[in-house]
Amino acid sequence: MPVARTHFWGIDSIALFYVLAGISACIFLLGIWFHVSIWLAGTKRNKLSFSKTGIINLLKDGLFGRRILKGDFFAGLMHVFIMWGFIGLFAGTVLSTTDYWLIHFLSGNTYLSYSFCLEIFGLMFIAGLLIAFVRRYIARVSRLENRSQDFWILILLFACGLTGFMVEGARLAVQMPEWESYSFAGVIFSFLISSKDQAAALYPFIWWLHILVSLFLIAWFPFSKLFHSLAAPANMYLAPQPGPVISSEEGSSEGPAFSFRDMINFSACTRCGRCNEICPSASAMEPFSPREFISQANEYTKIRFNPLAGIKWCRERFFRAISAAPGISPEQMWYCTTCRACLEVCPVHIGAFEPIRRVRTAEIEEGSRVPNLLTKALETLYMFNNPWERSKRKRSEWPGGLTVPDLTEGAKADICYFVGCTTSFDTRAQDLARAFVRIMTHAGISFGTLGQKETCCGDIARRAGEEGLFEEQVTKTMDLFKGYGIKELVTSSPHCFNLFKNEYPAYLELKALEGGAPFHVRHYTLLLEELMERGLLKPLKSLNIRATYHDPCYLGRYNNIYETPRRIIRSIPGVTLVEMAHFGPDSLCCGGGGGRMWQELEGQKKLSEVRIREAADTGADVVVTACPYCLIMLEDALKTTDLEGRIKVMDLNELLEESLGLVMDDGL
Amino acid sequence: MDIVVCVKNVPFTQEVDLVLDASKQDIRKDNLVYAINEWDNYAVEEAIRIKEQLGGNVTAVTLGKEADEEVLRRCLAMGADEAVRIEPGNIQPDVSMAAAILAAVVKTLPHDLVFAGVQSDDFNNGIVGALIAERLGLAHASVVNSVKPADGKARITIELEGGQDEMSEVSLPALLAIQTGINEPRYVSIMGIRKAAKKEIKVIQAEGLGLPPADLQPSLIMEEMYLPPETEGAEIIQGDAASVADQIIRIIREKGVSL
Repeated sequence: MPVARTHFWGIDSIALFYVLAGISACIFLLGIWFHVSIWLAGTKRNKLSFSKTGIINLLKDGLFGRRILKGDFFAGLMHVFIMWGFIGLFAGTVLSTTDYWLIHFLSGNTYLSYSFCLEIFGLMFIAGLLIAFVRRYIARVSRLENRSQDFWILILLFACGLTGFMVEGARLAVQMPEWESYSFAGVIFSFLISSKDQAAALYPFIWWLHILVSLFLIAWFPFSKLFHSLAAPANMYLAPQPGPVISSEEGSSEGPAFSFRDMINFSACTRCGRCNEICPSASAMEPFSPREFISQANEYTKIRFNPLAGIKWCRERFFRAISAAPGISPEQMWYCTTCRACLEVCPVHIGAFEPIRRVRTAEIEEGSRVPNLLTKALETLYMFNNPWERSKRKRSEWPGGLTVPDLTEGAKADICYFVGCTTSFDTRAQDLARAFVRIMTHAGISFGTLGQKETCCGDIARRAGEEGLFEEQVTKTMDLFKGYGIKELVTSSPHCFNLFKNEYPAYLELKALEGGAPFHVRHYTLLLEELMERGLLKPLKSLNIRATYHDPCYLGRYNNIYETPRRIIRSIPGVTLVEMAHFGPDSLCCGGGGGRMWQELEGQKKLSEVRIREAADTGADVVVTACPYCLIMLEDALKTTDLEGRIKVMDLNELLEESLGLVMDDGL
Repeated sequence: MDIVVCVKNVPFTQEVDLVLDASKQDIRKDNLVYAINEWDNYAVEEAIRIKEQLGGNVTAVTLGKEADEEVLRRCLAMGADEAVRIEPGNIQPDVSMAAAILAAVVKTLPHDLVFAGVQSDDFNNGIVGALIAERLGLAHASVVNSVKPADGKARITIELEGGQDEMSEVSLPALLAIQTGINEPRYVSIMGIRKAAKKEIKVIQAEGLGLPPADLQPSLIMEEMYLPPETEGAEIIQGDAASVADQIIRIIREKGVSL
């Protein structure tokens, strides 16, 4: 017997195999077509470019499952085994088919190494499935839901792998080639069969069983959770690319205008539940679950866009079960704080907050289900150019006795300090602005503000899905900047910073507003860092405190600024920096973002209370933050949790100016 | 069910330091933001909800200048079918003249129900609704906080003092002055208003309505408007809860308020 791959050994009806394989492949392709046509029905496809970060994502998360491994070693191991086992075995089948139909190359040493490798892959595959079984049904990992599909896919995959080895064992029991030890696992199975005749008789049954299970899985593939293997890499590659900019006129009046990217998000979800674990809203027992939302959105898009759903006969037979499902629940959409923690942990790079924003936009247009307080805040924003219902004339009252040049009254300066609505009007947040002004004056920096004319950047309109109002604010703000020649900005709030830096340019391009975004914007922490590097700020007074730092979502996760504020804190003498249980990219949202500052939603624990307790648990004297929302949310939480004596909330400007010796006698 | 809603564009005066104008009979309005009268907002919302349930037409009517059309656009964006603006021209309507003009126009529009707000945010007179009802011979109720029309009648509840409501039935056509809190008005998006801006607003000249001169005489003459004089500051009461409570009770009795 030559050392070579034997094809269809002991099988007569090869033609039948190909017919069945053909049917299975057709069903597979039909399923793929369904998914792709749903994706293409998304409202807008922006031009996709080659993305190096996307390729890196594919390698790190796709091939090596970095995010699956993070925080859950056995999940990572399991997935690597199953995925690589599968890929290896699949490659083996491809090579075998090539050998049969094209070039006969699987012979001699090539064949032996091929055989050996496939044993490894096969065992890896089965080992991974065993780990999966243990995690789901014995260890009962809490974030996994155990649906019937989860059970059947596991059983069928396992049957596939097992019958593969069994059939090999049966063949080896009959053939008994000298090189059978290369197929060591199959050899073990061959020992279980007593006689050659029995093996020969069993062989076709096991072979056909293996075929039927495999072909069934291939046909079921696009209709089951297995489809994530194709959707997830697409999603990972696309994730770093900026999302499509959908202008307010393009929004559909028939429900949420999900984009092409959103649709791929929904298909890629594997329901692992990491988003639920990390979501501050879900963890605070609020009636919101990112995983549920993605699943509901997935069902919704299937009903709305599946090509067959248009045919009444089909709709009644196949979609009734889906349309009986709850669908996207509009009330829950307002809980998301848009903190981005879900995107940070998702192994396939899904961010629930983007499609949620599209649902919000649809709800805003519908109007009657928008929470009352948010309605007021948005209407106020439109009327007063700030959501706090304060007169525009009072916007420039915060400086008190400080000298702040007004760029709209003829002053000229290098930097425009964009104060922001919350910092201008909220009494606690005003302290931040005054501290920053004192620091800049001390450093001799030429700066000015826009005085009473400063507009709202439009962040809450954008987060609430009020695209029309957001566009109004973009226009007002850009008119202001152009009118006074503003080119260099520094902001109090990471929200304004994020909007100007990351969201304004796309809108300006979309609307062909003159000149794109001709300004450069920084958050104040970046400016402070620069001033310290230039030696203009030398904190000398030792403060003798333990401090912890709360990463604002829009500075940290949205803009990757984690080290800058920490470097500033560490450069202050006498300050020991300690970290909370959740810090950096894992930081817990204070609950002020995503329009939540203007809502009063039901929930068992307030997000800010959870966070302030974490801060107090570090034993720090002060929790330092760099965002006006975080400042006032944590300050309020301090009072409602009765932690007032134990820890203080300070903005980074306030901490720095104490060490610079600039503090006025008003108790700071 | 055809519903006509009378709405008013009023200045938003919270958080604003009001300044008298040169005539000392009105405030300076050049720097003020205008918005729909709060009561009227609830009235429009209620009208649209009834229309969504029972079918029919909602028409919004306002007496105002061209700049006041923004209030009608909001009503159209909320779901009103038609909008009518009555241009006052040279007439400077006071409250009874406004009622006469509005009544003359409402008469020409098909109506099973006429809604008005209980009062307006600026002068808070609270009588235009009643005056219109009287002129048109309509059944009338005020401070209405629920409306359920059926078979030529409407079951309504009226807000009384002390947290009590009165339930009544009124035969249609009727005029109801709507109280705030009857519903939660929907949010009107900027896109919604932009789309509504394309709809037509009918303009009627008040001077062309053929009203008798008696109707166009002011019944109320504004002699002078002035800011209330600043009085003494508040009294801060010190002590623990029990002694503060005692002091408060003593003050209330001294002032002659019977408990």
